Amino acid sequence: MINGTGITKTFRQRGGVLGAREVPALRGVDFAVPKGGAVSFIGESGCGKTTLGRIVAGLETCDSGEIVIDDVAMSSLSHRRRQPYFRRVQLIHQDPYSALNPTRTIHQALAAPLALRARQTGRPRSWADGRARELLGLVGLDPGYVLPRYPHQLSGGMRQRVVIARALTVDPEVLVADEAVSMIDVSLRLGILALLKDLRERLGVSVLFITHDVATARYIGTDGELYVIYRGQVVERGPVETVISAPVHPYTQALLSAIPVLHGLESPGDQRVVPVEASVGASGEYSDGCLFAPRCPFRTERCERERPALSRNGDMPQEHACFHPERRSVVAVPVSRR
Amino acid sequence: MAPEQGPPGVRIRGLTVVYRTAAGELPAVSGVDLDLAPGTITGVVGESGSGKSTLALSLLNAVQPPGRIAAGSVEIDGLGDVVALGGEGLRRARGRHVGYVFQAAQNSLNPLKTVGKQVLDLGRSHGVENPRGLLADARDLLGRMGLDGARVLDSYQHELSGGMRQRVGIMLALVLNARLVVLDEPTTALDMITQATILRIVREVHAERGLTTLVITHDLGVVAEVADRLAVMYGGRVAEQGPTREVLAGPRHPYTRGLLGAVPRLVGDIGEAHALPGRPPTLADIPADGCVFRGRCPLRMDVCETGRPPVVVSGSRSAACHALRDDDGHDDGDGPVVAAATGEEQA
Repeated sequence: MINGTGITKTFRQRGGVLGAREVPALRGVDFAVPKGGAVSFIGESGCGKTTLGRIVAGLETCDSGEIVIDDVAMSSLSHRRRQPYFRRVQLIHQDPYSALNPTRTIHQALAAPLALRARQTGRPRSWADGRARELLGLVGLDPGYVLPRYPHQLSGGMRQRVVIARALTVDPEVLVADEAVSMIDVSLRLGILALLKDLRERLGVSVLFITHDVATARYIGTDGELYVIYRGQVVERGPVETVISAPVHPYTQALLSAIPVLHGLESPGDQRVVPVEASVGASGEYSDGCLFAPRCPFRTERCERERPALSRNGDMPQEHACFHPERRSVVAVPVSRR
Repeated sequence: MAPEQGPPGVRIRGLTVVYRTAAGELPAVSGVDLDLAPGTITGVVGESGSGKSTLALSLLNAVQPPGRIAAGSVEIDGLGDVVALGGEGLRRARGRHVGYVFQAAQNSLNPLKTVGKQVLDLGRSHGVENPRGLLADARDLLGRMGLDGARVLDSYQHELSGGMRQRVGIMLALVLNARLVVLDEPTTALDMITQATILRIVREVHAERGLTTLVITHDLGVVAEVADRLAVMYGGRVAEQGPTREVLAGPRHPYTRGLLGAVPRLVGDIGEAHALPGRPPTLADIPADGCVFRGRCPLRMDVCETGRPPVVVSGSRSAACHALRDDDGHDDGDGPVVAAATGEEQA
């Protein structure tokens, strides 16, 4: 449904007296979001996952590479003709507190895009009211309660549901959810994740899920795909459950090893990988070598000279960008209960 | 340099903190009893509105208007009841006795001064006679946390990463040799790998310097990694407390159970995990009588509407729930198992 090939993006920072500094955010990323599918981008802050999400949503352009939506290459269209395509992609971002106008009721927040939608599709204006109630019901809210209220009268979880309902007003095909649950109370997170999963199943909406919390990626669908991104490069890609239970790239392993273990309920995986700490500044980088090599406990001389590309080898169900891939059990295992 | 006495213990009794609102004074913390045993790490976990940050501020008697401590005491060894302290005595206690790492310590540094300057400011306000010695201590502490101390002291906030700033926050809390340290959300907004590093440092520094540590967090994983004891707060009250591993292995309070069941996990059946119904209470809608959790509780009974839940104590654990009072036996198969396991260890 949406594909990207060779997406690159470099930000130019204005660097005071020393002039501009170039910061590569994405270094040739390929991805595919199938219809109704779930794709998750995971990685740390600054790895490029948010930039990639914004490019997919049409809020940012790439320097090179191609975004293809429903078999149409976006680079072949004028800015104006691209808009209807990118409208099929709706971005839900992390902060439900700032995403809604505090001076407007939820009714007003939904009425504007629905009125526009009614005009576009030749429906009567009265359609909008019924549709607003329908959408709120779809995201698990009571329309009678929510519609007359202002955002500050709702909890974070309810607000995020309203934001999702508003995204649905334009009948999108893809929801890009960028850290959509990180500001939601723990007891309510699973509710939002289950809603995203439900929207995939009921409406056939694809979900592009961007997060630093790997565990949440499972909850929008175990049939999904995981992309692990390090400094603008996809370093491992494969089925969610495979990448979590049998990761082969040392960076993926380090990320998974860093997730706290609920001692008492779980015991730590026996091959946890602790990366070398990122050094101060940008020193220690090998210009042609693997991007993760400076922090990798398994690096060899080859890793310092050559940069591995994303590829598949042998029997592994996932792709990886590593010269020395090896399965390690790093994830905590549940303590067997008597 | 190192103080002679051991780490201080803390006894919080009947602590109630209220905030003045248009609807009158509402309790953010209500009748909390909590002990911090000397030399231990206690984790307080709660969602928004649970009162955990207000509780932490009470340890410094630093609740700001429109809030005030309405009742109760906070006894800290070597200091006495901080609720009764005021003025200069209180100011000295902060920093000297109690080190505080603020929520978002990453952003709480002065952007116009180098870290070293801020260490000197701190020393001056506490009448430190040997500023060079203080800087040397600061450098050693930063070095201990894996940083180039001299370089960090010469740096401005914007030159440091989030994880480095968090370490500077910990250094500032410890450099005056405080033995009681409060960390409010120490890893929020940090990446996973940085979080793991900070938690390791918290554990190591705690052990090396002989501290009593309180960690406030919304993240069960964080307390599971660092805390010896765990207190779960909800609606301004302590729902359950006990040794971390025992509470996680066999939660008794329905809220603790629900919260544990709602944490997204890397392994296991995703169908077994569920969000809790409803939402956490805000200051405006915390029920005044009865159990604060009853609106979301699967075990709700009539008595929960009116009676404040009794604190049911068993061994080193306690939980405040009406449902635990009469059915210790059948309701909670884990209780006896845990007790038996502890017995085996002792044998």
